[in-house]
Formats: sequence, C-alpha cells, structure tokens
Amino acid sequence: MNITVAVYRGKKVVELSGDIDMYSSPELREHLMALIRRKVPSLPVNFGNVSYIDSSGIATFVEGLKCMKSYGGRLQFFGIPEGIMEILRFSKLDRVFEIYGNIEDVFDS
Amino acid sequence: MENAIEVAGLVTHYGEREILKNISFSIAGGMTTVILGGSGCGKSTLLKHLIGLLKPTGGHILFQGKDITVMDEDELNEVRRKMGILFQGSALLNSMTVLDNVALPMREHTKLKDSTIQIMVRMKLDLVGLSGFEGFYPSQLSGGMKKRAGLARALALDPEMLFFDEPSAGLDPVTAAGLDELIVKLKKVFKMTIVVVTHELPSVFTIADYVIMLDAGRVIFCGTLDGLKASDNPRIRMFLERQPEQESYSPDDYFRIIAGE
Repeated sequence: MNITVAVYRGKKVVELSGDIDMYSSPELREHLMALIRRKVPSLPVNFGNVSYIDSSGIATFVEGLKCMKSYGGRLQFFGIPEGIMEILRFSKLDRVFEIYGNIEDVFDS
Repeated sequence: MENAIEVAGLVTHYGEREILKNISFSIAGGMTTVILGGSGCGKSTLLKHLIGLLKPTGGHILFQGKDITVMDEDELNEVRRKMGILFQGSALLNSMTVLDNVALPMREHTKLKDSTIQIMVRMKLDLVGLSGFEGFYPSQLSGGMKKRAGLARALALDPEMLFFDEPSAGLDPVTAAGLDELIVKLKKVFKMTIVVVTHELPSVFTIADYVIMLDAGRVIFCGTLDGLKASDNPRIRMFLERQPEQESYSPDDYFRIIAGE
C-alpha cells in the first residue's frame, strides 16, 4: 500500500494505492488518526488505485469514522472499484460511509 | 481457472493400514470443491493432509505451486496463515469468550491495535449471525452457534482458502442450510477457494461447484456436480440413492468370524 496526502482546492485528500491488508492497515491507521486528531472537518479518501482491502482495512476506516463522528467530522470515499464496493455492500457498510463517484461529487456535497 | 491445490500420487498409512491409495486431483481457485464419501473412506484424513497437519507416506501436495509435504513447521505456518479451518468440533477455547477466541489469530499474527481488532471481531461475528455474543463463553452457546463462532475465527485473518470438516454434522436442517448459504456467499463476495468435507447430500447440491468422491481411499469421481449426478458408477449411484451396502460375507463366513475359527 502507498499512502499520500494531496491538497485539492485547498483541502487535504488521502490518496491510497495497492493492497490494504493486515500488514499495511497499522500504517494506514497511523496516518488517518494523525489527521483526525487535528479534527479535520472532512476527509476525502481516493480509492481509485486500491486493488484490495481486507477486513483490517475496513475496520480501520470504521474506527476513523467513529472518531470523526465524535466531533461532527465527515469521512468521504470516492473512486471505489466495483470489487471493493461489493464487499462494502455485503457488509452493509455502503450505507455507513459517505460514498461518491469522484472528487468533484465530494466537493459538491 | 488456476488451481489452488494440486495433489499428485498421495499415499498415506495409519500403521500398516493404507488409508489413501495413490490419489491425484486438483482444486480450482475461487470455487467450492466438496470432498464426498462415506464414513471411513479417508476424506477427513485427506483434509488433514491438505492443511499440512499430516505428512503422507508418498506423493506431493502443491499449495499455490509449493509442495507442502516437504515444508518445515515455520514454512507450513506461513502457508496456514492463508487458510481458515472450521474443524468438526469447532475447536473453540472454552476458557475464552467468543470475542477472545475470534481475536486470537489476529493478536497472534498481526500488529493491529486492539481497538481495530475489536471492530474486526464484531464484523466477523455479524457475518456469521452472532452479533451481540462477544462476551459469551463456548459453553453458553448451542451447537450451531459454536460452529458459527468457529467459522468467525476461521475467517479472522481473511484467508484465501477456507476448509470445512463436516460443517453440518450435528446441526438441525435449518441451521445447516443457513451455514450452506453462508458458504455460498463467502465464495461469491470474497472470491475464496473453499474445500468442504462432507457426506451430507443436500449440502453438496447447494454449495458444490466441483466434487471429489472417495471410496475406500481411492478417488472414484472428480468433476462437476452435474457430472456426479449423471455418473453411472455403481458406488456413486449407491451413495446418491442412499442404498445400503450388500452383505460382504456369507452366513458361514459370519459364523467363522464370531466363533473365532
């Protein structure tokens, strides 16, 4: 997994690529929590280049969302590949996370 | 479809007795393969070989191209991380809660924070229909619930392959059907390779893409479910039509056996 934080229209956007699994999830959590501790009001995450996410990756985002909700923050996903979308749907998390088609949809929300 | 497992010329003995007699077959990746056969035909023994718990007398088992019959324990443990196994008796640790049982492989094999692990455990328990039972001990669960808790633990590390040893054994038909439905969903959504050892025909007809049928330690069928149903092999027909075995010896032979002559 590779994780970078880009700035788009003045906002921080998390860009992910590769596999998010038991090995890489602790690193993802570290980055995510560092941003959330600063109480960012919204955090868009680009899944466009994510090839695989396992339950540890999903749990990491659930934990992140739980923390953001405590101060009214929003965790926003976009560019989710169909295979990953199917897993989110199966675990009913497609109705828990805010999911958008692309970055423009996130900014328009 | 790539093969997840290839078995070639597998032979095994318990003492002098030959259990598996030079068997060869492949298991396709991303599919559900059922190993079928009557009691004592060697199917549970075969499963133990596939997960590296037993060393064969002869032959090879290639898991993703690597021969597990020649691996040492460290190499086998690395392979087993990719496998989830639901044993017949569920094999839960009675002194631990359901949460701790499911969390155990995650705590042992990953560097995930416990806060993440607890969410993962709740996800796995929800998947098997056991939400809210985190704090229960195995002794407080029914047989079907223990199976599902065992399955949640088998799923703990998101395995690529899932092995079931007689998943329906001891379950009522409704609970068994629920477990079958879950097996079908796991394959579809997570693209898992699933291997199920069973002799329950309703279960076979629900979950199987491919069937390997054993009889007295030999493979007598290897193919699709439709192929199995169409087979005219007398042993397969007996099994599918639930016909009893014919008497294997005459009354005179029987007398000699019980009289100890």
